[in-house]
Amino acid sequence: MTQVIIHTNDNGGVSVTVPTGELSIDAVKTKDTPAGSIIVDSSTLPQGADAKFFDAWVLNGSTVSVDLTKAKAFANTMLNGMAKAEVSHRTTNAGIGVENKLSDADWLALLTTARTAISSATTTQQLLDALTPVQSAITANA
Amino acid sequence: MAGTIVSDTLQDGSGNSTATTNAIKGSAKAWVTVNGTLSSGMTLASYGVSSVTYISSCLYQVSFSTAFTDANYSSAVSSSWDSGGNSYPMIANIANNGTYAPSTTSTYIVSRVYNNGSTGFLVNYLYAIFFR
Repeated sequence: MTQVIIHTNDNGGVSVTVPTGELSIDAVKTKDTPAGSIIVDSSTLPQGADAKFFDAWVLNGSTVSVDLTKAKAFANTMLNGMAKAEVSHRTTNAGIGVENKLSDADWLALLTTARTAISSATTTQQLLDALTPVQSAITANA
Repeated sequence: MAGTIVSDTLQDGSGNSTATTNAIKGSAKAWVTVNGTLSSGMTLASYGVSSVTYISSCLYQVSFSTAFTDANYSSAVSSSWDSGGNSYPMIANIANNGTYAPSTTSTYIVSRVYNNGSTGFLVNYLYAIFFR
């Protein structure tokens, strides 16, 4: 199993250094990571949906886990980013007379549903599930 | 066996030749390909790169096995994000300010999903090549 080097970075998140194998992992740890970094097996890093929310990872001792509050904030940031892009697309469609797959009312309802689901989520999988319908609607309207 | 061949010109068996300086200055001094994610397992192919550090979902640090003589190297980078069978294009560029300016020992790559404005997910594929 792959070994990686982890440390808490200046942003409060977790930096994960993956050696290429050109140098020993101990040499990489000395050369490329700050003091206090630790070597762990990559299999101990968050898996599945938790792995998707890298920006919400936090390090306690030698254990990396997901901060759900941070994950929700990132999910909302992702949702807003997708929404802004879609609004721009819908504005363009209106300007050139192309009908959207969803009405404006249905689109806004979809966003509201996603925001509610994010707010009430208790797992990262639920966060991903909240984003999926929005992503699908955007893809369908592309 | 260690040794040095000094020549101004390189020539193949067919008589094609080039100035040795083309081989020296025109060859990549370092490159790396990252294929996969931290969770699903990844493979890294590289030359002259000791490690790739994931700092955030949009910021990556590439560290060189051997330091460059200065930070005036040229680079090309790209990345993509694969989700649900779709490979989304991403914008990738070299960070170039303050803490994240290129140095002789490493450089930082910024990467964001291009087509839907979303952030927060790691890239699946990262490619970088460096010349000096």
